[in-house]
Amino acid sequence: MKEIEERLNEEKQRMASMTAPADFKNRLRSALDATPARKHKRRKPYVLMAAVSVLCFMLVSYNYNAVAFYGKKIFGFEEIMTGTMKDLNDKGMGQIIDKKTTLSDGTELTIDGIMTDANQLVMYYTLSNPQGVGDLWGDVFNPDKITGFFTNARAGGGMAKVNDSGTEIKGTTYFDPVSPFSKKLTLHFWQGVKNVERSITFPYDPNKAMQTQIKQSINEAVKVDQGKVTFKTITATPTSTVIEGKMNVDNFDRIHFGFEGVKLIANGNSVDNLGSGVSGSKFDLRFDGLPQELYSLELAFSEFVGYQKLAELIPLSDDTHHDLEGKDLWIKRVVTTERGVEITIETDDNLLLDDVSIQNGDKVTPLKTTINQRLEKKVDRFTSERTMVFDTNSMPDNLLIEGIHYVKKYNQKIEIPVE
Amino acid sequence: MNVVRLVKKAKRGSKDALMELIMAEKDAMYRLAFTYMGNEHDAMDVLEEMIVRLYENIGQLKKEEAFYSWSKTILVNLCKTTLRKQKKVVLIDNWQSSKEEEQMPSTDSNVQQLEISEMLSILNEHQKEAIQMKYFLDMDYQTIAELTNVPLGTVKSRIFQGLRKMKDYDGGECDERDRRTIE
Repeated sequence: MKEIEERLNEEKQRMASMTAPADFKNRLRSALDATPARKHKRRKPYVLMAAVSVLCFMLVSYNYNAVAFYGKKIFGFEEIMTGTMKDLNDKGMGQIIDKKTTLSDGTELTIDGIMTDANQLVMYYTLSNPQGVGDLWGDVFNPDKITGFFTNARAGGGMAKVNDSGTEIKGTTYFDPVSPFSKKLTLHFWQGVKNVERSITFPYDPNKAMQTQIKQSINEAVKVDQGKVTFKTITATPTSTVIEGKMNVDNFDRIHFGFEGVKLIANGNSVDNLGSGVSGSKFDLRFDGLPQELYSLELAFSEFVGYQKLAELIPLSDDTHHDLEGKDLWIKRVVTTERGVEITIETDDNLLLDDVSIQNGDKVTPLKTTINQRLEKKVDRFTSERTMVFDTNSMPDNLLIEGIHYVKKYNQKIEIPVE
Repeated sequence: MNVVRLVKKAKRGSKDALMELIMAEKDAMYRLAFTYMGNEHDAMDVLEEMIVRLYENIGQLKKEEAFYSWSKTILVNLCKTTLRKQKKVVLIDNWQSSKEEEQMPSTDSNVQQLEISEMLSILNEHQKEAIQMKYFLDMDYQTIAELTNVPLGTVKSRIFQGLRKMKDYDGGECDERDRRTIE
């Protein structure tokens, strides 16, 4: 084991060799040029909407949990509710809170209501300010966690929508589940550009939490190229279905694919995926609520990260295409710079070369680092362009690739018995 | 390059002057953003937002010579706000994706990268931030204190506590820790 300082130092060297990407100047310049002359602080409404939808996309891809209850219908959130939430709300499964406070910039925050069950707490809120809230949204209100008796529930994702005049935002935030022993809950949030922490406490009626429908163990494992994925339990509540498990997969995070290729199939139909979380070796997959009448349930382990050992020796020249076990590799440029030999390549987004080196006669130089990675959107896929840097001055003849990490089809099924 | 002169020009509304100021420190700015965001894509998004904020607010900068410390503080705050929106999981994920950049073969450097991100993940946000700034970005205590808006002593203590935690972790049992719950 190396000393911590030594390892930190190595990381520092790596950071020091990192330079701003080639399009740095152009991107900043365009951002600046798109900014109107000063004093016109408000951004255009369409920019706002785009920002919010991007944010929704980012947030939605994580954490949903839930507990359910009977109560009144929460109004005004139709547009940002998923199908299941909308159904439950129509049935009056929400708890109306209607508690207000004023934020530092004069914006009024209203906690409209919550919906809870064993998997999550969903909070519905409104921000309104006649001066406009839209362009400050992220700065105004950032929910952090909900605390209470035996409760410390972190915020996961959420969605929000700005109205046309930019004076009101309706949003939802998903939290970890809260304890049924809590009678009062406190929402902690950050507000303002300086991120001041504030809180607001409201009453909670745990008897109105929705009942869990299914909670059972799965205990099935799938062997993958570089390890094993074990699905342990399933907990289904009216708002969501959570599958928990453990994994020991060496190359899980070498590509960005994650658990996208694992689907939950109920009565033959795919259940909407609400996101997933990975924490150490544990993971949880979150799906929408299950249908009321359930005949069959299965997990389709269709695609996951795979590894293929290769021994490819690729002759190097600019603008060439190569086939790696059916996957595309384009070599775009090979140049020598003061950093060494730089080879710019392009592959599918979810393909990572492993154990790469270059060869010049008998001399083999391993890869030092990869820089300037950039995603490109092609007609039917995303590709990734990046430049590999090798610490040598001699122009190489060949590129050696010992393996690839990629999205592999496993096509396995795990049946979950339903009573 | 005369920073004060350029800042004054930028205050009068010159976008060129502002660009010149940023370009002179582009690598440092990029590394700072990358350290927080963990990948080029998010880092560049935040930098774009930063330059817009700088342009809109440069009128409020009283001491022209403090331009870089002021702009980096804004950059740090923007990174934190963005991360807070993306939430915890993204933090961890991005560390992993930045690691994709290094496919150093036949050495233990991949393992090493992983170890570093794993070790950092046991720290709280403040400790991690301070350690990254000190060790990866080579900043001094005073600069870190200015950028993160806390007293010098707090920075030293965060780094000291963080290092100690990492050393304890390095030596001890570590397989079943839940990163999300460690503060």
